[in-house]
Amino acid sequence: MPEEEQGKVLIVFDYIYHAMRAKPVLEEAGFRAREVAPPPEYRTGCDLAVEIDASDVDPAENVLIEKGVMILDILFMPKGTEFVPVYLTNLMKTVDYGEFLMVRCGNMKITYQKGSGKIVNISGGGCPDIPYLGMKLYGTVIGEGPHPRLLGKTICSYTLEHAYERALEIFKKESKKKGK
Amino acid sequence: MLLLVGTIPMEDMPLTYGPVRYQPDKLTIGDYTLEGQYVTLGTAAMISSASATSQAIGSDAPYALVVGDTGMGDGTMKLLKYLVDEMATMKPGVITLHYILPTRDPFINFVNTAHSQEKRPFLIADAGALLNAKAVKMATKFDLFTPDPGEISFLADPEAAHPAYVQHFIFSVDQTEVPKLSKDAYDHGDAPRYMLVKAPTDHIIVEGKVVAKINTPNIPAMEPIGGTGDTITGQVSALIDSGMEVVAACEAACKINRTVGELARPSPDTTIAQFIPFIGEAVKKVLGK
Repeated sequence: MPEEEQGKVLIVFDYIYHAMRAKPVLEEAGFRAREVAPPPEYRTGCDLAVEIDASDVDPAENVLIEKGVMILDILFMPKGTEFVPVYLTNLMKTVDYGEFLMVRCGNMKITYQKGSGKIVNISGGGCPDIPYLGMKLYGTVIGEGPHPRLLGKTICSYTLEHAYERALEIFKKESKKKGK
Repeated sequence: MLLLVGTIPMEDMPLTYGPVRYQPDKLTIGDYTLEGQYVTLGTAAMISSASATSQAIGSDAPYALVVGDTGMGDGTMKLLKYLVDEMATMKPGVITLHYILPTRDPFINFVNTAHSQEKRPFLIADAGALLNAKAVKMATKFDLFTPDPGEISFLADPEAAHPAYVQHFIFSVDQTEVPKLSKDAYDHGDAPRYMLVKAPTDHIIVEGKVVAKINTPNIPAMEPIGGTGDTITGQVSALIDSGMEVVAACEAACKINRTVGELARPSPDTTIAQFIPFIGEAVKKVLGK
């Protein structure tokens, strides 16, 4: 198909666990990829799709298959179709509780003790892996224990990872200031 | 009968159904006993809260239907299938659906089954079930949602597939935004008749309009504590099942949860396990029982 007639291509997944792995796998293989919301008929309430260039479809699909990323469907969308991007970087807020700092990203919150970096609470979200992540992360030192992305399987855990990363960044800065 | 449904973050917990009883450090569901941290994680926090509330008001013990699921959705599928197959036998008066992995057809089948019962159960959704109901355009088939500020922002944005896609997120919930977002959500069919919006000022919404606001006692340290929203959902479920009118039950649940916060004197590192044991005392204080 001539380049000017090509629309966008959307890769959709059965499980967010696979959708979360797709972008880093594709980027590592040299493809451009963007995480977006799938079309309404594919939505369940825990949704993430990946947009790629139409010219990359076949090699990108091969890479995902090779790496064990399970695809539900590949959708060829009309030229000019606009997808809703993930807004997580716009959804950050911190709340200072004195001895503790809470970092909120969208609907997910992580709170740690400032001096020690110990995670004391995780709040928000609605998917089954969030209580599981809470259990695994409580009491660990931020940056030293497991990251949410390593254990999570849903977009709530993907959102929590962003909060975790921001909390880690702040904690490192604080530690550096104190000469730790 | 109140039926509380959701997943427990365990790999190997079988599908379990039965009456529930919360005791500090122990939650019994039928023949299965959850102990330690599992008593107050996610769905279990909601169930423990509902049980503590029922015990305090002297109503029948709630029932629960739970299963292990750590996020892949295998347990969620079993739950929804069991509900579809057994709802006519269980005959629940109220169903509260909580931590589940959102799906399309199994969830839609569950809602349609509930609506086909001779006596339709009162349907409450929170957490994953709330996200699921909106995403598959079945919010109006429910009776009550219990969203937090992130979830009400999501319900109000007709394009959002998940709170991560919300373009206008409320961080500082004020008196203007919750009413507007609640009305927007209701107007485009993404909210049920009743909503209890859990926020620094709790709002009770009926058909998109604010009918009550609760903001005392105000305990800011409750916000970081994971599970303080789950406990309200458990309380309101138990109160509605006891026969209390819906708006009165929502108002009472907000006051009870805030009173629990007052009694527990939390800090940001307080756990929900330290919070739930005060529910009985808070119920008696608020309802005078």
